[in-house]
Amino acid sequence: MKASYLGAMGYSQRHKFPTTWPIPPAYHDPETSVRSYQEGMDECEFAEEMGFDWVSFSEHHYSGRIATGAPAVMAAAVAERCKRVKIAMLGQLLPLNNPVRCAEELGMLDNLTNGRLIIGFLRGTPNEDQTYGVNPAEGRGRLFEGMDLILKALTEPQPFSWEGRYHQFRTVSVWPLPVQQPLPPVIVATRSDDTVKYAADHGLGLGVSFVPVEQMGAVTDKYFQWCADAGWRPEPDQVVFRASIYLAETDKQAEDWLAKRTGTGPVPGGIAMPSSVSRAISAARSGEEFDLRNVLVGSPQGDVVGVARGLNFMGGPDTVVEQIKQYRDRCGAGVMDLFFQQPGVDHQEVMREIDLFGREVLPRLREL
Amino acid sequence: MTPTDGHVDLKGTRVRYSEMGSGDPIVILDPGTGMISALREALSRRYRAVSLELGGFGDLAEDIRPKSARETANLVASALGGLAIGKYGLIAYSAAGSVALWQALQAPDDVDTLILISPVALLPTGNPLSAPREQLVAHSENAGGLTHLASEEAVRMSALTGGGVHDAELESRLAEVSCATLAVFGQNDMMVAPEAPRIYRKRIPNCNISFVYDAGHAILADRPEALISAVSDFIERRETFIVGRESGLINP
Repeated sequence: MKASYLGAMGYSQRHKFPTTWPIPPAYHDPETSVRSYQEGMDECEFAEEMGFDWVSFSEHHYSGRIATGAPAVMAAAVAERCKRVKIAMLGQLLPLNNPVRCAEELGMLDNLTNGRLIIGFLRGTPNEDQTYGVNPAEGRGRLFEGMDLILKALTEPQPFSWEGRYHQFRTVSVWPLPVQQPLPPVIVATRSDDTVKYAADHGLGLGVSFVPVEQMGAVTDKYFQWCADAGWRPEPDQVVFRASIYLAETDKQAEDWLAKRTGTGPVPGGIAMPSSVSRAISAARSGEEFDLRNVLVGSPQGDVVGVARGLNFMGGPDTVVEQIKQYRDRCGAGVMDLFFQQPGVDHQEVMREIDLFGREVLPRLREL
Repeated sequence: MTPTDGHVDLKGTRVRYSEMGSGDPIVILDPGTGMISALREALSRRYRAVSLELGGFGDLAEDIRPKSARETANLVASALGGLAIGKYGLIAYSAAGSVALWQALQAPDDVDTLILISPVALLPTGNPLSAPREQLVAHSENAGGLTHLASEEAVRMSALTGGGVHDAELESRLAEVSCATLAVFGQNDMMVAPEAPRIYRKRIPNCNISFVYDAGHAILADRPEALISAVSDFIERRETFIVGRESGLINP
């Protein structure tokens, strides 16, 4: 198995943030912010040193918790520090972005890293539909068209025009094309049937985030079946699980940490919005009618949407190895993309965890 | 608007055509798919849109009946001469693309714009004239409007257009096509190899290629509005159709 370090680049004072999204820019202190990015890059560099195989980046907006709104910028900076690991863009939010711009960034990154890029396609959490004012009802359609257009733009050697549903480009001629031919590895991050089938039909990998093992297994069962129907079998590197982790020397130490955290702030990974807004987004995404008159006021605390699912892996090395092994055995996952920057876990603690993971966990994952 | 039907006498055989609208002439070649009416109607709002039934050439006497796309192109040129339309824009759908390319090569002074919709002259992976309808569309529910040629008709039309066979001689002469050219393909076209579009772009000096997202070979069945928009724009502006004109202004 392989391990990936999620380069979240969290703002070091993120434990002071409110629970709601977006985080007001007023919380930003330049000195703290600069230091946070430097520490985040130190973590990536140390993860490489400790044997991690990939460093990943994920597009998230208007929040210092995962402070990579422009993930290609972050990937380019880290790629200058890390010369061995794969640089995994897991991924760009296709409904929000110009797919041609995405293709250009991906082409550049594969050249800058001399062929170490891994591409990821992502729809994004419901709150992020609002970042650039995209209609949530169009997210799915934009995702599918974006994937097709990026794949075409990265592989077509002659200029072309594109007559899409959401995009019309009369001249597309991406430069540079990727170093890895015909394409770098591509992971589609999803749990939706139609998108999983797209990945299977196009020979692409699958990424699943933060869910319990049985829930991921239900997704990968379909994926492997549809891949077989399409006449191919994914390699282990093509099944990625993104997980939240807290690793301690012992299970007891991990439990003590969690006990201290309980009731002291936002749950790990939570994103909250006013309930009126989150309900409107959900309704648009599912095609349902939304009547604002039925929502008197957005609740002060907001509804938690997105990735608030707690920790996937927690404990000492033995326990964490066993937890990870379940995803390998049940889901066929070959890559663990690990989010270490839990709320209340500072830079020194993350570095300690990376060190411990590299010494005590990663060697045993290699043997699986 | 209702099309006007007519015929031209060609070596003792009547070849049918339909036309709508007025203005600069646009000739549409259709290999019997029955799909071009929406395109013709859209174009007729600004142009004299003339569609020629290629099947009529199959009724010619055995000794003069065309047996290749190149020979069919000669006779199409003769038939158009009978209509006295002068210089024209030429649009060909599907298997008729080979005929149109030969026409552009053989009558360069007459064809001033060439638009190939789903051409199969190069690197075909199937013959759209005989393929099951479901293979021609990206979404099976769109196959209902497609005409299914009887096997005898498909064979006859294939002989007239070279349908389903790579035309190496044509490929070798693409650099001689001098008019502004647009080749449009459905992103999910299963009748040509993925490498085919780029050959047109590379070999024809003034050629654009366009992909219609979420469409199969029968683009007019899957995404007619997108196709008509691209074709209309190219006819009007030729190679300058790449210059954006849509305003991004929201609130002035």
